[in-house]
Amino acid sequence: MPTSPAQLAHSAMASPVSQSLPGSGGKKKLIYDQDHRGPLSTDTVATLMLLQADNIDLLGVCTVTCDMWAKQETAYALRLLELMGRPEVPVFMGAQEPLINTKAEAQMRYRMFGARTLGNEGYLGSFAKDAGNRDEVEPLPAPYTRFAQIKAQPEPAADFIIRTIRANPHEVTMYCGGPMTNLALAAMLAPDIVPLTKEVIFMGGGIHHSTSSVNVYFDAEAAKIGFRAGWPKFTLVTTDLAEQVHLADDAKVDYIVNHAHAPIADLFREFEQKPQRANPQRRSFRMPDEMMAAHAIEPSIFTGSDEMYIDIVTHNDGHYGDTSFWDGKPSGQGEGASSLGQNNPSLKAGRVEVLNGLDKKRFRELFVDLMTRPINRSQA
Amino acid sequence: MTTTRREFIKTVSAAIASSQISPTAMGAPTLEPGVFPAQSGGRRKVICDQDNSGPFGTDILGTLMMLQADNIDVLGMTLVTGDAWLKQEMAFTLRLLELMGRTDIPVYYGAEFPMLNTKEEWLLRLQLYGGHRADPWLGAFNRNNGGPQDVQPLPPPYDHFADIDAQHDHAVRFIVKTVRENPGQVTVYAGGPLTNVALAIALAPDIVSLVPEVVVMGTGFHAFTNTFNMFFDPEAARKVLRAPWPKLSIVPVDIAEEIHEGDEFAPGRRMIEEIATRAQSPISDLFQRYAIEPLRHDPNLNFFRMADEMIAAQVIDPAVFRKSEPMYVDICTTPGPRYGDSMFWPQNGQQRPETGAPPVSSADRRVFVDPSQFYMGPPPSAGLVNVLQEIDHDRFKKLFVDLMTKPIRKTRSKI
Repeated sequence: MPTSPAQLAHSAMASPVSQSLPGSGGKKKLIYDQDHRGPLSTDTVATLMLLQADNIDLLGVCTVTCDMWAKQETAYALRLLELMGRPEVPVFMGAQEPLINTKAEAQMRYRMFGARTLGNEGYLGSFAKDAGNRDEVEPLPAPYTRFAQIKAQPEPAADFIIRTIRANPHEVTMYCGGPMTNLALAAMLAPDIVPLTKEVIFMGGGIHHSTSSVNVYFDAEAAKIGFRAGWPKFTLVTTDLAEQVHLADDAKVDYIVNHAHAPIADLFREFEQKPQRANPQRRSFRMPDEMMAAHAIEPSIFTGSDEMYIDIVTHNDGHYGDTSFWDGKPSGQGEGASSLGQNNPSLKAGRVEVLNGLDKKRFRELFVDLMTRPINRSQA
Repeated sequence: MTTTRREFIKTVSAAIASSQISPTAMGAPTLEPGVFPAQSGGRRKVICDQDNSGPFGTDILGTLMMLQADNIDVLGMTLVTGDAWLKQEMAFTLRLLELMGRTDIPVYYGAEFPMLNTKEEWLLRLQLYGGHRADPWLGAFNRNNGGPQDVQPLPPPYDHFADIDAQHDHAVRFIVKTVRENPGQVTVYAGGPLTNVALAIALAPDIVSLVPEVVVMGTGFHAFTNTFNMFFDPEAARKVLRAPWPKLSIVPVDIAEEIHEGDEFAPGRRMIEEIATRAQSPISDLFQRYAIEPLRHDPNLNFFRMADEMIAAQVIDPAVFRKSEPMYVDICTTPGPRYGDSMFWPQNGQQRPETGAPPVSSADRRVFVDPSQFYMGPPPSAGLVNVLQEIDHDRFKKLFVDLMTKPIRKTRSKI
């Protein structure tokens, strides 16, 4: 369980970017834990990347409420797997609500302390004022067209995570593209999985663009548990990095619509190209989850990382869910805090590798290649 | 949004619910609040979720009451770190069940740590904000306590570790599975921090409507508001107290403080003397060694309040409580000086709680402005719970002494 920062500081954090060790059949075993927003979003596009990559063994898809309610996300995830010819990938519905946070409080905090608007981070997903309720599942638009015939597994996502990591010690990468509710539950129910996990990749938090992002402030308690747990390796994509590339930059969308196969071409045409043409001022979203997927598929695209400590504010006020960062390697010189003889992180802060740069050209090449190559259907 | 569309969505939702998502997650029967369903053989099925800290004390005595009551069917015990570390509690619990001849009751390991709270941060908070004066107890996190792996040998009459073992399944999965298999029938006795119960409802929110009653020890109005079971794991407490259970009954410290283990049963005769004299082994041994002997060394000994004994009474014989009131409750989870503090609001929003000795007499409570000018209700998401407010002292003491002194109720007979 929680290791002290001092102990963690001495643990080996060898290379700035991880080398993808081959799992079974040379593939990287990965659990995809995500607030899977449909019909097309950074969540969905990252799913497409992982499904299209040859070197990823997708052990299962877990959903968690955030961008949408978990039931709606699950409906999208199941049907997307059908459309992509991958019905054998099991889907597990995870937490339908954050550990502690509620919509009423999130709304009240915004009224009292102001919404988070710096860096346009006020988004509340399924806790937005006009969002529907937990059990409503809306019909899926074309090209989804209808609900899937395949069904979600009866097991909760947290149990699947525990079982899978125990069965594949030191081999499973946790891709956490939503709030860490499922991961935190798994770590609390089975602390033994923490040292058995190969790597956690998470999208959220920020230093310059904003002090937080929805994956953190939607369930701040889960984020605090997740960051503090002491995973062997925790890789973070911050909003600062994600903001460097947007989906519509460099004519990616038009190229994909023209060259991709169904259903990818249809998704990009309907939900990126058409809105973009209807509103040329539209700013497409940054690519946070795509970057996480890129890190899982081809980590060498990232040019560097900073070793840092992170902790989360869980005070029930305007700072709920803020991220705090500390340098993992204080320079020991200059006039900063280190000259005070004190540069310690919070008592239980978690150790993370914060990706700090990427080769945009290679990222674009990988992304476009994955989107336009033939659909990677299952062999069966 | 038109009605037609909303209805369409509902229909589709129902279709999805029945086809795609876990069947256990919905469509389950729900209970009317306050309805206690008839049970096979007239016994109330109970899961005892407890920080069962030995060798003696309110945790153990509450457990003994549950084991001794004829109308209670203990389906299992689930342990949680609180007054002691989980593994030490397990050692005491298994051996206690052996001594009581109740090795048929399965025992499960639960959460070894609170959700977010840590010992190191707690000790720093106490230094930064000042310590708890009214109840300084930190349980497993007491300054000089060992770590979670530190299991001490068991003193007499436990003498040695049990031959029986804990179950392999996790406490949380046992709770979820048992409640689903017995919808509307399993009462949850929660005598410790609420970590296990919180994890169970986070993992399986559908069980909330299937539990006829959760009985919780903790919170307070006047004696003090920051109580151990709540501030050991405030996030778990907040989650459990907010969940829409058909019924959640809570024993605040104010009532628990009204009766202490060393109190008199009849004039000149203490409950502990009555029990030590009349009870069978091992109950008589426990009282002799851990109540009568300490009292002999220190006649002014302060015995502990009867906290978990009272939640046991609420499960075994709820008529012991003469008054209760539905109130809103919430637990502060902001990690400041009030981390874990309990707050109450009357259901109608305008009254003050009446439990215990009020700090100001009713006569002094001058209403000098129109209360309708103020918002006095609960915060959003606060839970509505059944707060036990008045206890029949004689009936409670009789129940306690009777249960402790009746013949040991060995192995549960299946009906």
